[in-house]
Amino acid sequence: MPSNETQKFDSLVLGGGIAGLAAALDLADAGYQVAVLERDATIGGQMIRLSKVFPTLDCASCITTPKMAAAAHHPNITLFTMCRLEGAQRVDGKLEARVTQLPRYVDPDKCIGCRQCEYECPVMVDDHEQGGFTARKAIYIPFSNAIPQLALIDREHCMMCGKCSSVCPTGAVDQLQQEQEFVIQAETMVLSTGFELMTDFPQRAYGAPGLGDNVISSLQMERLLAPHGPYMRVLRPGDGKEPESIAFVQCAGSRDLQLGKPYCSRVCCMYAIKQAMLLSGALPLADLTIYYMDIRAFGKNYEQFFQNAKAMGVEFVKAKPVIAGNNPDGSVVLRYEDQEGGTGAVSREHDLVVMSLAMLPAFSPEEIVPVSAADDGFVMVPQPKLAPTLTEAAGIFTCGVAAGPKDIVDSIAEAGAAALGAAKYMAAKRGGQAAA
Amino acid sequence: MSKLNSGQEAPKIGVYVCHCGGNISDHVEIDKVVEQAGGLANVAVARENSFMCSDPGQEMIIEDIEAGKVNRIVVASCAPALHEATFRGAITRAGMNPYLYEHANIREQVSWVHHGPGATDKAAALVAAAVGKAGELEPLEPIRVEAEAHATVIGGGVAGMSAARDLAAQGLNVALVEKSPFLGGQVSQLDKTFPSGEAAGELLSALAAQVLHDDRITVYTCSELAEYSGYVGSFKLKLQRTPPSGQDQERLSRIGDASPGQFLPFVGVWADQPPEASEEVELTSGAVVLATGFEHYTPPQGEYGYGDLAEVITLPELIQIMAGETGGGEQLVVNGKTVNSLALIHCVGSRQIPGIHQPAPGGTLNEHCSRVCCTASLQAACELREKFPETSVFELYRDIRTYGRGQEDYYLNAGRAGVVFARFAPEAPPRIEAGGEDSALTVTVPDQLLAGEELALGVDLVVLAVGMEPRDNQGLVDKMKLPVGADRFLLEVHPKLRPVELPAAGIYLAGTCQAPMDTSEVANAAGAAAAKAGAILSAGQVELDPFVAQIDQAKCVGSGACVEACLSDGAIEMIDTPDGKRAQVNPALCMGCGVCVAVCEQDAIELNGWTLGQYEAMVDAIVAQTAGQGAKA
Repeated sequence: MPSNETQKFDSLVLGGGIAGLAAALDLADAGYQVAVLERDATIGGQMIRLSKVFPTLDCASCITTPKMAAAAHHPNITLFTMCRLEGAQRVDGKLEARVTQLPRYVDPDKCIGCRQCEYECPVMVDDHEQGGFTARKAIYIPFSNAIPQLALIDREHCMMCGKCSSVCPTGAVDQLQQEQEFVIQAETMVLSTGFELMTDFPQRAYGAPGLGDNVISSLQMERLLAPHGPYMRVLRPGDGKEPESIAFVQCAGSRDLQLGKPYCSRVCCMYAIKQAMLLSGALPLADLTIYYMDIRAFGKNYEQFFQNAKAMGVEFVKAKPVIAGNNPDGSVVLRYEDQEGGTGAVSREHDLVVMSLAMLPAFSPEEIVPVSAADDGFVMVPQPKLAPTLTEAAGIFTCGVAAGPKDIVDSIAEAGAAALGAAKYMAAKRGGQAAA
Repeated sequence: MSKLNSGQEAPKIGVYVCHCGGNISDHVEIDKVVEQAGGLANVAVARENSFMCSDPGQEMIIEDIEAGKVNRIVVASCAPALHEATFRGAITRAGMNPYLYEHANIREQVSWVHHGPGATDKAAALVAAAVGKAGELEPLEPIRVEAEAHATVIGGGVAGMSAARDLAAQGLNVALVEKSPFLGGQVSQLDKTFPSGEAAGELLSALAAQVLHDDRITVYTCSELAEYSGYVGSFKLKLQRTPPSGQDQERLSRIGDASPGQFLPFVGVWADQPPEASEEVELTSGAVVLATGFEHYTPPQGEYGYGDLAEVITLPELIQIMAGETGGGEQLVVNGKTVNSLALIHCVGSRQIPGIHQPAPGGTLNEHCSRVCCTASLQAACELREKFPETSVFELYRDIRTYGRGQEDYYLNAGRAGVVFARFAPEAPPRIEAGGEDSALTVTVPDQLLAGEELALGVDLVVLAVGMEPRDNQGLVDKMKLPVGADRFLLEVHPKLRPVELPAAGIYLAGTCQAPMDTSEVANAAGAAAAKAGAILSAGQVELDPFVAQIDQAKCVGSGACVEACLSDGAIEMIDTPDGKRAQVNPALCMGCGVCVAVCEQDAIELNGWTLGQYEAMVDAIVAQTAGQGAKA
């Protein structure tokens, strides 16, 4: 529990997604005391919100939850959720991180995660954990395998009716809770702050506020395919129709100089193929089309996964389509140049369109930690070949998408390397001795 | 008939059935399985959860243990390889012996392979068997062995050197074993690296200097692993050092007056004087890191004209030619011939498709993407256009995979520099013929970017971007019993859960022996492997699972049948006792396979955690369950 006193650790991991958790676990297993700082109400990052993961089609929960639980119960790891890093700098050889913990309006020491408050709350709010397709309450636990299992109040929507307080068996609701500031002192730091998807794609691409209800993001499709998804089956959000034709638009924002994101987001080809495969199981009769620039199936067993999808009948069209409009029946019109057929500009309709949106850095280090962002916005790594996790500041390392788009496999490997970098730094400071 | 556990308490079994978020519950009626389990003998509680491996799922078990409701645990979920350790960990946290646990696999063995009512019946039978066994479980203690603070790294390329450096930095002594007289591996064959443009030689010199100057690291060049035995914490290795011959001798002749630590372009970093006579080196090592790297695909004679036409070369050959070129001329000159125009062909020996591509003589295909060749080709193309503005460059590709940070720039710059791209389908690859109007060769290819229109390109040079292949490691694979994937690369336990580990504890993977990677990715993999090895070895002690053979000396008659049958050298040996020769198990070497149990005529051997009594209980439970199902039907 935060207090005003300075809390001392060996290492501070910024970001509790899969990369941060992997790095924290490696450091903790080596005997170092680790603080994991997470701005969300739960650890697990983007990965815990996914359905299944390529190329093994393991369910994302099956791989993520054990890492989350291992971190939560590790004697050498302390988790800080709903925490924002205000700034960190080295003082007398130690990094001092100023942290603000946002109020949950629920006392974490009293809440037992029973969800009585959630059942009683009369306010319904769009549930972003479910792609915004269903509603949650104004007091809620983010999702069933969130860690910690603690309720929080969405103050923007809470009516202060007091029903949650009246049913809470432990008197945990605390509307007067305030932001708390405290300092974490550590010798090393790992930046594993992950990504978010480009949200202003329509404005950037079309100067328009939205693309219509039946054009969704790839992370929304993850929710439609997830075991505890919003509809428990795949329906298109506009009208609840079971889609008979689904299209994926690749490089939506990535590899696009006009949108200012010239880089490849590296995972979209594979997750689109994966989603198409999962959809062919959920909706065996649906037509599945992936519009792509290049299929980048470069990882271990990825190319084989791509060839399987082709053999299963997923259609791959080399084109960069635009969304030309919506039909009265809700279908979406895509217009593109038919390069392979040579018939010029053509239009095709699909019931549902998934945009494989660009990955953007979720954190900008400037003025918070003494490292800079490269031109692409991700953390600058001055020695990309032999020390890809090293930043410009001694003792600060980076891994996962914080250091550029990356899939889960590569993020986990890089997390191991970042943990090793931090351990080496500390061992050198301690005269060549590893942690006790 | 059930034995009592250490607490002298009758078994109170808790059964926990996982939905796996639909993975199981879509095909197995969980409530029926729970209900049936609840009716079995010794079962105190039977519960379900959508994800047993999640924190709330694990908490459910812990609460029941702490409340004294249960003293044996059965979880029915996915394969034990995934989460057995997760649940044992939860049980330990609750203060109970973690081996009072049995796992029923109702996902891989049920819901993923059976549908309909049969799936539920099979799940119920597997749960009943696990409950039967749980009643017979006894608390066990892990085997603790001393861990040598020493690691051996096999392979002296970037992966091996990085791993050695990173292991030493954690306070471990390291042996770095390299087959050739040089360090640097395949990166020695490069000129500049992408995307930073750093010279390969400078990178290797810097890395080799760290390795060669570290007192904790001993480099053994000209060495191969000759013998291997032992276990995590204490592997016994014998290295064979051999004076260089053949190609190595030719490379050594290029040293001149170089001093150790110096980089020689396209040769490597010269480490030290090679041995003059064969010698053996014996090591005891706590962990082994495999960093044996890759080989370039060698096109068979005739593939794209390779071997038949002198003007067809590979990308590594082009890189070496280019490195010697300072530019200045208007056109590239190769073998005295001016190159007005050249074509780079991608995916040679990569992304091969059964039915389209010709398998190698051994019947193998390289179905994988080699990951680095796209950017390497584009890097070469950009450099060519810069140095020789009058040489035209064509890139014939399937997909451009410049995925990494900074790599897309090469694609953009190549286009801006006037490189012409044509995209071919795997079914219609480019055809190379000798002769042309004004050129040495003619390349014909239907271009998908132009609706399949056939292009005929007159070129003077064709460059094949050859892929990465797994190195022929058969000797090492056999000696160390290493798992190999369908792609013939070494196979990790799980790409996400345990990406650098092998099933045998204490053996780790670093770099391209696992899969194609670029230098940055290799450095990360090596760091990850070093972190794992460092974590277990720095503790000084390693814990092993206690599922090993145990001999009842009173029943043993010293026949030696078990020693003969044993698959793990030294795991059982005969010792002299006052009563004569008797068998004795070395628990650290025993793999727990059970072969000795099967051959012992005296029934003097039991496998801890898998005793004959436990098997009988499982079989009885399955028979009872299926008989019950038969009666209902």
